[in-house]
Amino acid sequence: MRYAEWCIAAPTLEADIAAAAMGLDDIGHSRVLYGSLRELGTPDAGTEDTPSYANVPFLDRPWTDWSEFVAANAVLDSAFTLMMEALANGNVDVLRTRLKKMLQEERYHTLHGRSWMQEVKAGAALERAWRESLEWIGPENADVDELHGAGRLARGVRDLRRLLEERLDGRVPPSGLDWDSWEPVRRRTQPGGIDQATLEMLQGLAEKRYMPATG
Amino acid sequence: MGYTRVHAEVHEYDVFARKTRVEPLHQVGSVVAPDDDLAMAYARATYDEERWVEMMIVPKAAIISLWAPGGDS
Repeated sequence: MRYAEWCIAAPTLEADIAAAAMGLDDIGHSRVLYGSLRELGTPDAGTEDTPSYANVPFLDRPWTDWSEFVAANAVLDSAFTLMMEALANGNVDVLRTRLKKMLQEERYHTLHGRSWMQEVKAGAALERAWRESLEWIGPENADVDELHGAGRLARGVRDLRRLLEERLDGRVPPSGLDWDSWEPVRRRTQPGGIDQATLEMLQGLAEKRYMPATG
Repeated sequence: MGYTRVHAEVHEYDVFARKTRVEPLHQVGSVVAPDDDLAMAYARATYDEERWVEMMIVPKAAIISLWAPGGDS
């Protein structure tokens, strides 16, 4: 969704098109991943206690600077891809096949993010995206490591952190993560959530305003 | 938006693709990018509307032209 918001605002026409294409890719990936939650033994719908929408804080508000797009593309997208690779190489057969096309598409997201990171000084945005990626991967000896222990994920937390660092060309990772305020369902420490306007678009409520009146 | 500068130096790449193994590659367009990585990402994003079995990009600078419209043959 946030990628799509940049499809007429990126610095070059090619980057506009890439933003639209990557946004479309990720909508498709979200649908596949959502349907894959059951394979991992996780309910695929929210309850009163657990919200239906769970996103990293980086996606709570529209990005106002291209450096935020680049940081999300280079860091968050890489973290998500690493987790998908860990799923695709795990022992859940249906995921091994289902995620293959997704990973092929994500390769181009990685190339895009890596190249733009050389062009743009994304310091603060990059640090924030990295911190939130580590929070999203989660603490050691928690659910991700349990899934790794069961063979469903091919990588545990330490490996995922290390691989993310490698993808960021040896940049120094953020330190001092505070797990006391970490929410295990939403996988973040920061309160808040996605903005109302975006939520209404995701739920299709915004589009309904344009539908002809019936009756 | 806070970012206004575009790349300091860019290169043009021609994009070639084919839909079946039996047909030859043909040029489907071109992209402009500062490096090979971004050129690949842009080519995939821009020309992915067909079910290509193969796609490749070539730096325009690597192409040796024998003749062209309007030139001496």
